[in-house]
Amino acid sequence: MKSNAVRMMSVAGSLLAASVTVALSTASAQPVPLQEGGGALKDRRIGYVMTHKYWAVYETEGAKTECPQGFNDGPREQFKKLFDDGKKRSIVEAQLKREGEQWHPTTAPESFVFKEAQGNTSYGLNLDGKVGPEDFLSPEGEKGIDNQLYRVIGCIGHYRTMGTINHFENLFMRSYDDTRIVIELTEVDSLKNDDAVVVTTYRGSDGLLQDATGEGFIPGGTQRIDMRWGKEYVSKLKGKIVDGVLITEPADRVMLPWGVTFGTSGYHVFRGFELKLKLDPEAAEGLMAGFVDVKAFNHHLNTSWSTHHHSYGQLSSPSQYKAMMRLADGYPDPKTGKNTAISSAVKVKFTQVYVQQPEQKELVSKQ
Amino acid sequence: MNRLRWLLSAALLVGAGVSQTTLAATGPYWQSKDAKDTESYVKVPMPAGIQVIETELEGPVFATAEGKTLYTWPLGNLRNGNAGDRRNSGVSTCDDTIYKETSGYMSPYPPGFLLPELETRKSCEQLWPAVLAPADAKPVGKWTVVKRKNGQSQWAFDGYPVYTSSLDKKAGDVFGGTNALSGGAQGIVRQPIGPPPDVPPELDVVPFRTGHMITTYKGFSVYASDADAPGKSNCTDKCLSDWDPVIAPQTAKTKGDWSVVERSPGIKQWAYRGQPLYTYVHEKKARAVTGSDNPGWHNVYTQRALPPPADFTVQDSRIGQVLADKDGKTIYIYQCNDDALDQQTCDHPDSPQVYRMAICGNFDPNVCNATFPYVKASPGAKADSSLWTVVTIDPKTGKWAKPGDAGAMQVWAYRGRPVYTYGEDLKPGDANGDNYGEFNGQRNGFRAYWVRDDYRNNNVGRTANDR
Repeated sequence: MKSNAVRMMSVAGSLLAASVTVALSTASAQPVPLQEGGGALKDRRIGYVMTHKYWAVYETEGAKTECPQGFNDGPREQFKKLFDDGKKRSIVEAQLKREGEQWHPTTAPESFVFKEAQGNTSYGLNLDGKVGPEDFLSPEGEKGIDNQLYRVIGCIGHYRTMGTINHFENLFMRSYDDTRIVIELTEVDSLKNDDAVVVTTYRGSDGLLQDATGEGFIPGGTQRIDMRWGKEYVSKLKGKIVDGVLITEPADRVMLPWGVTFGTSGYHVFRGFELKLKLDPEAAEGLMAGFVDVKAFNHHLNTSWSTHHHSYGQLSSPSQYKAMMRLADGYPDPKTGKNTAISSAVKVKFTQVYVQQPEQKELVSKQ
Repeated sequence: MNRLRWLLSAALLVGAGVSQTTLAATGPYWQSKDAKDTESYVKVPMPAGIQVIETELEGPVFATAEGKTLYTWPLGNLRNGNAGDRRNSGVSTCDDTIYKETSGYMSPYPPGFLLPELETRKSCEQLWPAVLAPADAKPVGKWTVVKRKNGQSQWAFDGYPVYTSSLDKKAGDVFGGTNALSGGAQGIVRQPIGPPPDVPPELDVVPFRTGHMITTYKGFSVYASDADAPGKSNCTDKCLSDWDPVIAPQTAKTKGDWSVVERSPGIKQWAYRGQPLYTYVHEKKARAVTGSDNPGWHNVYTQRALPPPADFTVQDSRIGQVLADKDGKTIYIYQCNDDALDQQTCDHPDSPQVYRMAICGNFDPNVCNATFPYVKASPGAKADSSLWTVVTIDPKTGKWAKPGDAGAMQVWAYRGRPVYTYGEDLKPGDANGDNYGEFNGQRNGFRAYWVRDDYRNNNVGRTANDR
């Protein structure tokens, strides 16, 4: 770990480097030489740690465009509609029935109307390289955006800007080190334009450097890589940098730690995973996208949050599952031909860190 | 199909040298059956008829003259209300009422739904018999007397009425509750009570499922070194850049298991059972065991539980290590408290099984037994630990069966409750069934049996402040 003095020097160095970068960018559109990352880009490598993640939901004012019929009902509202008729029931006929349906969801129709997000604009990436009838247009006008998860979650309060998953997933990501997502770019010649870089995902094992406001994050921290318990979170991606934007090729399978609180330590697995991040020496921001397995996504939701927490943001897990299965658009089951995964996108922000690989030493618990 | 996937995954991992499999019994977490380590405690005044007995998991506990462990039921808050006994209230809320409906304490579900198996439901005081005091009983130390609704006198400890558990059958049983780190929003549970551990003020004892670990009063683990001699520290110079001696005050004196090592004139260090104690300077999380990854260094326990079944294993998992069966499949414990005012447990084959059946199979026993299968015990299997027993279960109902009954299974049980594996764990070390059930598996669901957690302060599921 770096001392505070070293951190301060690194921060100062990064700030200076950022100033230089801005000046260079203004002066010329030519590729920036290696030193533009200052101390952060060292030995052709630079690391970033995730500080923000939001399931990408395109929101208009008052949700009038995407949710003209309002938002979906959650567990409380559905429970009331089902059982608030004055009839005496047992816990098996009511509460446990609903829990059973939640833990063992089906695609059978239900009496509730599910409100899918409307419109043809969404954040996301073109994951299949095609432009299809169900695809979205990005807010910047790019065609072929694959993000059917947005259709599902766009009108569920939980996932929107003021939603609780939005808030708590970030709060707990910052609170618990086992959710620390780190990427390291190697073989980097320039953060502006480079036709071949390697991106490796890791789990870090250290806290984030927050600024005095508690809201911002300071570049120049250190993240020790967890190669003891976190090997499953290591994936390598091929990529390139174009005009300061990192674009990676699809990776078949990327697993990322995604625990929240209550002693949970869950994860998400993305198929066809891609990154599109605007880079600078101090931060990276953009999208990560891919197909999430519907059953695994639902499992994560149920094991990470309780029905009580689903209720905060009107998130009905059984209804969401049915909608996800209905709108799934990838990775068909070889036997049934039904899609098992759904395209998705996550808006992310990273702050620069120094990546420290673990020492190779003998550990008693490995013996 | 899952079985095939499991075998393939396990074979691939072993081939790749990825799986870190350790037979649990030979690992670092338990003490051998021949070890006689027990926790020393502070002798406190007790009423006549109350004794202290040694138990494998909880250490010294108070018990009746017959050896039945004593419990209290401290008031706790649930999402929509409180349950339990209020400290120093002078009354017990555990009475002869047989509750028929849910209380609505656990959001989001409202109250008023009929509880299961009402025809056989017992009252709180049938399940938790009050420890009665003589009519003329007088307070002794922290022991006081409260009046029950029927006029009887009941002992209270530290302001809480005292009970025994109907689940405890013999001396040393502590099946009614545990202080071992576990839980969270698991309902308002009963806690075994006992005398305080005999530790200096600078130190503390933390109960785990694997034993009572010594920490500093701030919660950081303490360690001992094989390189030290009894009563003498050999950790000097460079060693001190990694290990901080646990400093004892000038007034510290040798007492029982505790002694003082003089490192240099005027600098004293605590030693336990002759071993000088240290903290690991690189540890940033409380209750950690990462220091014990350094050869020759060990966490220090007052006592540890005895090993689990001999063929069980320990597996590396995503935040630490889990207890697993002989095939490397993670072991899960089922937790359940109902939503009645008396907060009855429903995690035991004596209790209604509809809670578990809803979660593991949407009431279909076949789905249930595929999702969370019981852990079969080999014929004649026996564990060194009293906490692990072989029980006979009817897998269709989840209730007790007799050996030889049609379909009956001999399965492993921990603290009298069957344990499970998870059907969707596809390779050794997977813990995908963790947090499966109501309130992240704490209220009515399944929790992985973590033995080591390097990320969550070794809370292994305890999240009391996270509600």
